Amino acid sequence: MSDTLSAPAGATRTGAAAPARAARSPMRFLKPLLLLALLALLLVLPLYVEEFWLRTGFAVAGAIVGAIGLNLLVGTTGQLSLAHAFFLAVGAVSYTFISGESGGLGTRAVLRGLGLPPIVGMVVGVLLAGLAGLLFSPIAARLRGIYLGVASLGLVFIGVHVLNTWTPVTGGFNGRSVPEFSLFGFSFGNDDPQLFVLGVPFREAERLWYLGLVLALAAYVFARNLLRSRPGRALQTLRDSEVAASVMGVNVQAYKARVFLVSSMYAGLSGVMYALSIGSIAPESFGLTVSILYLAMIVLGGLGSVAGAALGAAFVTALPLVFQQFADVLPLVSSPGEGGIAAGIAARYLFGAAVILVVLFEPGGLAGFANRFRRRGRAPGRGSPSASPASAADRPTDTDPSDPPAQGSSTR
Amino acid sequence: MSAAAPGSTRDTTRDDVPPVEVDGVSVAFGAIKALNDVSFTVAPGSIHAVIGPNGAGKSTLFNVLSGVYRATSGEVRFGDAVLSSMRPFQIAGVGVARAFQNIALSGAQTVAENLMLGRHHLTKAGFLSSGLRLPRATREGRVHGERIREIAEFLDLGDKLHTPVGVLSYGDQKRVEVARALCIEPRLLLLDEPVAGMNAQETERMAGAIREIRAALGISVILVEHDMGMVMSLADRVTVLDFGRRIADGTPAQVQSDPEVIRAYLGSGTETDPAEAAAAHTTDATGSPA
Repeated sequence: MSDTLSAPAGATRTGAAAPARAARSPMRFLKPLLLLALLALLLVLPLYVEEFWLRTGFAVAGAIVGAIGLNLLVGTTGQLSLAHAFFLAVGAVSYTFISGESGGLGTRAVLRGLGLPPIVGMVVGVLLAGLAGLLFSPIAARLRGIYLGVASLGLVFIGVHVLNTWTPVTGGFNGRSVPEFSLFGFSFGNDDPQLFVLGVPFREAERLWYLGLVLALAAYVFARNLLRSRPGRALQTLRDSEVAASVMGVNVQAYKARVFLVSSMYAGLSGVMYALSIGSIAPESFGLTVSILYLAMIVLGGLGSVAGAALGAAFVTALPLVFQQFADVLPLVSSPGEGGIAAGIAARYLFGAAVILVVLFEPGGLAGFANRFRRRGRAPGRGSPSASPASAADRPTDTDPSDPPAQGSSTR
Repeated sequence: MSAAAPGSTRDTTRDDVPPVEVDGVSVAFGAIKALNDVSFTVAPGSIHAVIGPNGAGKSTLFNVLSGVYRATSGEVRFGDAVLSSMRPFQIAGVGVARAFQNIALSGAQTVAENLMLGRHHLTKAGFLSSGLRLPRATREGRVHGERIREIAEFLDLGDKLHTPVGVLSYGDQKRVEVARALCIEPRLLLLDEPVAGMNAQETERMAGAIREIRAALGISVILVEHDMGMVMSLADRVTVLDFGRRIADGTPAQVQSDPEVIRAYLGSGTETDPAEAAAAHTTDATGSPA
């Protein structure tokens, strides 16, 4: 028996220590296999697909990192933040300034840069975004839900103003170009060194694809681990009831501050990746619309679900790009300046409709939708094969938690 | 259900359980006094019931004990710890656990995850070590997972550990609420109406569980309850509140025959102005938190 403290009586009372997970065993083998197959597919993709899809993939990877970070804050903890664009900007500008070279910009202003290795720029960009989050976290820790949303709104406007006016660092309203990424002398540009894999030239798009894959995967795994452990449980309880969380020993203010810090660091990394993906930064890339788009990602994907955030990010980021690419094939969608609906606008109509549909029919988002299918494929008595038929009948058909009070008696 | 469980031989109080001293506690919300100079002492290892009509201030008292409300004046001591000047998470840290009246569990999480939250102050894994799955974080989770299982089985929840709380029946959820409080490894357990809404059979089962908890762990239990039969059979001592004031304090037998108590519960017929009493009743209904 336990050595932590005196054991409660009757710890051995119930003989039925149910082998609760047995029913999931076929799924257990299948899932890692599917994931491995998906990973292998993503790894060999640059050998087969065009540059457009790889560039889209990197943009999606960057958005996935940002959306996972925002979902930790909004979906898991229930803290609304509209400042995500601001933290993206901190990451992007820091990277550009730290790793960029000083140089001319027209005749009047001169850009400055530190010219440090890009990996330093990336790490410091993440740290500075974290620092910005830390500075704001005393406010974040004391506010809740929509109030934090309104308070964080101010940061976006400050960010855009600074981007427009601090020309030596940000390039002003024209923006500035972003230095190529490189790692220990290996450039993620088009050549230097020239690279061929199985006869396929590996240029910037191919190289960035792998960078995005690694970073998005790391962000995903970290968040997954976090949610399944002690801090994750504390954050989820905090969302459901702050009073309950604090009475159970969770320092609510400290946890709100910490999750805000983590979220802003995710945003910082996402900002660096965004800058690399576009190749330049400009004030309009970090406006309120971006914050809203990130909220759309996590609502579409499923609040509180890491996989959902990734799905939502992929959908919201890739759709306008795909529309643009195939404007001549798609009905109603046109290339810029041709009349009809521009690709970006068409994509936004679709997000709008999708968000409304999700909120109405599947509040769990894309992740909830996927879960629904997975549950259908499984035996109904998930997780309790040894439970009595009565307890199986107790279980409602959907996930609605409301249950008439008198049913508990039938479980034994 | 056999009451005599193996291991329930420990009928003595743990020696690290101090008395709870509630000393002249008042809580005011604006002009309304939800608690007015309430004092009583909970002997170590006893089951102490707090009863009273609706709006008597029972839940307010619990909120003061667990740090959710600040006392306007007075003090609550638990050994060396002055609970009335601590924040809720610090109170959990000295071994005071509370089970909520209106279930405050996370419905989407499984029973095991909800119980693990009770181990929060006993574990250390932070954001970084959890996110990176450092060995110490996983080891910690495993060790405490075993204890969780014991506590769940003790409350007949062993086969529901991996079920989301939201789909459990009401009675089961109430027991998860108590189990989660036990997972704190408390020295003082606060139970806020643990059998509210339960049928007779479930009530009997919960009463048995509370007796066993006290017997096996030797901890103090403070109980707010409306079910008089349960209170009288379970409690060692009873404190009666009415309109925020303590009107009686004693053994169940003493309290039952106390004329003040009978008047509070049944009315005395000498009440001259019923309208005034009704008004006082409605303004005093501050005792229920979210």
